[in-house]
Amino acid sequence: MENEVYAFALESALDEIQNACPDVISYFAFKDKKVLSRDRNTKLETASQAVDAFDAMVERADFIGDLETITIKSTKGKVHIAAFEDFHLATVSSKEADEKYINTLTRVLIPIVIKLSEKIQPASPDKETITIEQPESEPEENDTYEAPEENLTTEETEEPNNEDQEDDNYEEETATPEIEEPERAEPEIEDEPMLPEPPVTQLIVENLGGLLVPSDTVRVDQEVITRWSELYGDNKIKEVEVEALNGKTTRSKFKKIKKSKDTGKGIIKIPEKIQLTLETHIGELVTIKPIIE
Amino acid sequence: MVKKKQSQQENATPIVVDEEEIAAPEEDQTFQNLSETLAKIRKNKGIIGYILRNTTSAMIDLKDSEKIIEYAIFSSQVLDSSQVISDMFDQGDVENVLIEGKKNKVLCMKIGNNKINIFMEKDADEVAIQKRISP
Repeated sequence: MENEVYAFALESALDEIQNACPDVISYFAFKDKKVLSRDRNTKLETASQAVDAFDAMVERADFIGDLETITIKSTKGKVHIAAFEDFHLATVSSKEADEKYINTLTRVLIPIVIKLSEKIQPASPDKETITIEQPESEPEENDTYEAPEENLTTEETEEPNNEDQEDDNYEEETATPEIEEPERAEPEIEDEPMLPEPPVTQLIVENLGGLLVPSDTVRVDQEVITRWSELYGDNKIKEVEVEALNGKTTRSKFKKIKKSKDTGKGIIKIPEKIQLTLETHIGELVTIKPIIE
Repeated sequence: MVKKKQSQQENATPIVVDEEEIAAPEEDQTFQNLSETLAKIRKNKGIIGYILRNTTSAMIDLKDSEKIIEYAIFSSQVLDSSQVISDMFDQGDVENVLIEGKKNKVLCMKIGNNKINIFMEKDADEVAIQKRISP
């Protein structure tokens, strides 16, 4: 689960970087020798072999301190590998590529994506086992995801709760489950499932226009919608919350993007009216998250 | 035939080990030119040392002489692994590699058959160094 979320987030961000910089021929991200995400041009085997070669270098690089970047300039192009916390991102670009521009983009975007992904992660590895499974029945009473532990504790012993994810500090969360446990031992609502925190997805704004286009509906990538469905199962998602970089937010209905050429590009199509509300426009980044009913 | 020469550079202890007869005079000349340039660069602030080698000779000048082997193995590994990565993505022959760590960085270059590794502190200007060395 953890790596899947990271992979999805990274892939979306990197696709955008690739769109913004066509000179980026391919990319892949890896962590602990494992390839997490890669573009369509990069075979898994190729990426894995490159990771092995990278590791061979790093193993002998103690004297330079923790490795930050490797830039390989060859006759036909460049390979740049940069460390972002536990992750490494490799970008392969043509010789003409603007290295500074690409590095600036990746250095700004990737840490944001990693932080956002961390926010939507379960606080401890144990939680990976509890978030996906959805009960057959639909939740009835409560709008919040502050789920009771009773359903879970029958299967997962002494499971810490991830409802405190408002707290930004990941480490604190991992350190406190034992303290919180006794308070949550009281039975509350037996039927309610434990829902994962709504995933935040960063997308680039594109205009949505036309005569028959409803002005209160945004169009979202089918992949994103599918992911929400996987996460929340039978729970209805009728609306999304869209947040612009300036912090303005709005709720709107959503539908999948119709044109197949626009899918998988990490874009969100927004009608002009909503763009005005958010004070955003084409080409800017917004984040969306589903509103779970 | 094996012959050993002691460099005449001041404040440095480079060693040249020729394991065979030098094949191409122009290659030897490039090696000689590079060794002179590197000796000058070595005096700059922030330069920890360098390794210069080609198919027949090697010249090493490092502050920490106890770590010569460690540095030499690393230098060799960097260029080999970089070539592997470059080949994986069909990027051709490696020209240079810059590895930056939190403490130090290493600039590795290939000029003809000559392989150069310059070890420097984090704040050293590798671009200026590269310009001085590039033909």
